[in-house]
Amino acid sequence: MTPAETVRLVAMRDFTERVQSRAFQISTAFTLLLVLGAAIIPSLFRDDTAPPLEIGAVGEVSPLLATQVAVALDGDRSVEVVAFGSVTAAEAALDDGEIGLVVVAGAEVIVGDGPSATASIVGAVAAALDVADRAAELGLTAADVAALIGEGAYPIRSLEPETDEQQANRAFAFVGSILLFISIVTYGQWILIGVIEEKTNRVVEVVLGAVRPHLLLAGKVAGIGLLGLGQLLGTAAIGLTAITIAGTFTLPSATVSVVGNVVFWFVLGYAFYATAYAAAGALVSRQEEAQNVAFPLTIVLTAAYFIAAASIGGDNPVLRVTSLLPPFAPMTMPLRIAGGDASTVEIGVSILLMVGAVYVLIRIAGRVYSGGLLRTGGKVRIRDAWRSAEA
Amino acid sequence: MARLLVHGAEPARSLRWRCDAAGIACAAVLELSGLTKRYGDVVALDRCSFEVRRGQLLGLLGPNGAGKTTAMRSVFSLVRPDAGSVTWDGADIAPQTRLGFGYMPEQRGLYPRMRVHDQLRYFGRLHGMGATDAATAADRWLEDLGLADRRRDRLEELSHGNQQRVQLAAALVHDPELLVLDEPFSGLDPIGVTAMAEILAARAAAGSAVVFSSHQLDLVEDLCEEVVVIDRGRVALSGPVRELRARSPLRYLVVEIEGGDTGWVRGVPGATLLEARGDRIRLTVPRDTDLGAVVAAVDGTGRVRHFSFEPPNLSEVFLEAVDR
Repeated sequence: MTPAETVRLVAMRDFTERVQSRAFQISTAFTLLLVLGAAIIPSLFRDDTAPPLEIGAVGEVSPLLATQVAVALDGDRSVEVVAFGSVTAAEAALDDGEIGLVVVAGAEVIVGDGPSATASIVGAVAAALDVADRAAELGLTAADVAALIGEGAYPIRSLEPETDEQQANRAFAFVGSILLFISIVTYGQWILIGVIEEKTNRVVEVVLGAVRPHLLLAGKVAGIGLLGLGQLLGTAAIGLTAITIAGTFTLPSATVSVVGNVVFWFVLGYAFYATAYAAAGALVSRQEEAQNVAFPLTIVLTAAYFIAAASIGGDNPVLRVTSLLPPFAPMTMPLRIAGGDASTVEIGVSILLMVGAVYVLIRIAGRVYSGGLLRTGGKVRIRDAWRSAEA
Repeated sequence: MARLLVHGAEPARSLRWRCDAAGIACAAVLELSGLTKRYGDVVALDRCSFEVRRGQLLGLLGPNGAGKTTAMRSVFSLVRPDAGSVTWDGADIAPQTRLGFGYMPEQRGLYPRMRVHDQLRYFGRLHGMGATDAATAADRWLEDLGLADRRRDRLEELSHGNQQRVQLAAALVHDPELLVLDEPFSGLDPIGVTAMAEILAARAAAGSAVVFSSHQLDLVEDLCEEVVVIDRGRVALSGPVRELRARSPLRYLVVEIEGGDTGWVRGVPGATLLEARGDRIRLTVPRDTDLGAVVAAVDGTGRVRHFSFEPPNLSEVFLEAVDR
């Protein structure tokens, strides 16, 4: 029997037992509901067409008002103009909410409540049209008038060379980071609990009669990891499909690469943390001690998550440094990659360090794990576990 | 064949099996030699050496904390000895070889939520069986243990006694060449004890090497031809039970005389009175005591209702060996 076969057997058992467990089924159903809800519900409440802006016009208002206001509003809303015979009639309609505001030719803009950006824009457009009308009266041709009005507004240039696309990708990657964080914490905890369970119900000694400890560790991490990966991919696939069908959001162009990115870092991050959680589990004998022994790991993981959360706005020095460091990289690097902020060299260094760290950790954790497994009673010190294990 | 040779073998101080000079294939052995293991100041094993042959049922005795469990764990590399070696067939035990061993630790444990049949099949496969073989073997064991109708049940749904049976099956499902059981009889009712004893004897008869630890010395005396007594990490005594009993420097004398006169004991050189209950007294005398002289001393003290002169039983040999 090859080590790979042993690892596969152990992995399959852990995978199957978890899939069949009520806890897994409930948590999966819950996650799916949550994702489907987040993907579909906003589309139910979204109004595809923003309500048209109805302008009440009193007096000689330019026929170009509707189109020019629509342009000034960035084309987001359709604009209609309704003529009223008197200011009083228009005010009554405004009061009843039949129209949004009133333009009194050559005089004023009346609004129902406080002044608004829309009202200012309508006022500015109306004034500009008055200028054009007066220019026409002074003998300018239609073309001259059009040239006079021009584009209506200056284009806007931002100092921040951020595109909407980049921003969307980064936000999307951050959603990925949240999923990554939840998955790693959840499945890391399962590893932790699973290891302690095997220790408390003593089955571990029977298993170790046939299986070398590091293979048991590897199988456990692989089995539960596959389950985690499956759940992550399944959740992502169902969520994205639902978003596409319901048309809730426009998915950023880089969706596929962001998902691939998150999955890739899940594998590395999970391998790192799951191995550490397994070693931690081997040091204690009771579930009550589980959280104490896992505390340092959870702190590091949470710190990485918060660094990612704080960096949603863009690249920063803390994000740059932590994206290279193994315990943080799984949370922070996907964000930088999605935002296009990481250079190829940085990505390469980060992956290399991460893979190296996983390898070293597996060696260390494997030994601590095998040294701690058969020690029951109190908490085992890492040093003692290390010493009592086979090299 | 191996079993016949065992019977014919010259009694030796150690259990070391000498290959026949005529070149008959040497029976494979599990050999622990010079095993030493310390946990801080505690010495668990101190140059402990013994061996188990194919077809042999070896009882491993010793007070609590003597090192029995540590010795058994070392067979499965579950402890790393500070010195000494464990070999099978004269070679270090490779992981592949160890797959052919079966182990039932003192602390019982299986996966509580796993179904019984799945569980046995899993352990079969961990020991290198193919999927079909493992499933067949699991079915056969469940049939043998009378659990065929519980194959789809989760382990935790079974009674304590039935869980114990599954535990044994988990150690046996792959037909191990070597079976190591730590306190297999503890916690069993008399019916369970009998069934366990039959299964162990059958495994040995089928050619496996079987070694188990136990505190139930009368049971061990019935079941095993040979025992090893470990005390404070060392082998205090080892060999065929009959021989160990015979080799004891003491004999146990039980005499029941109407009237309960004990004055005659003073006339027997080296006699030590152990207990006197009513008319019945129990004493030890040196092995070479002349029985005629004892009879002569007793003669005339009253009506003798019982007179027995025997080597110590295994419990007494054990107590002499560990000297507590």
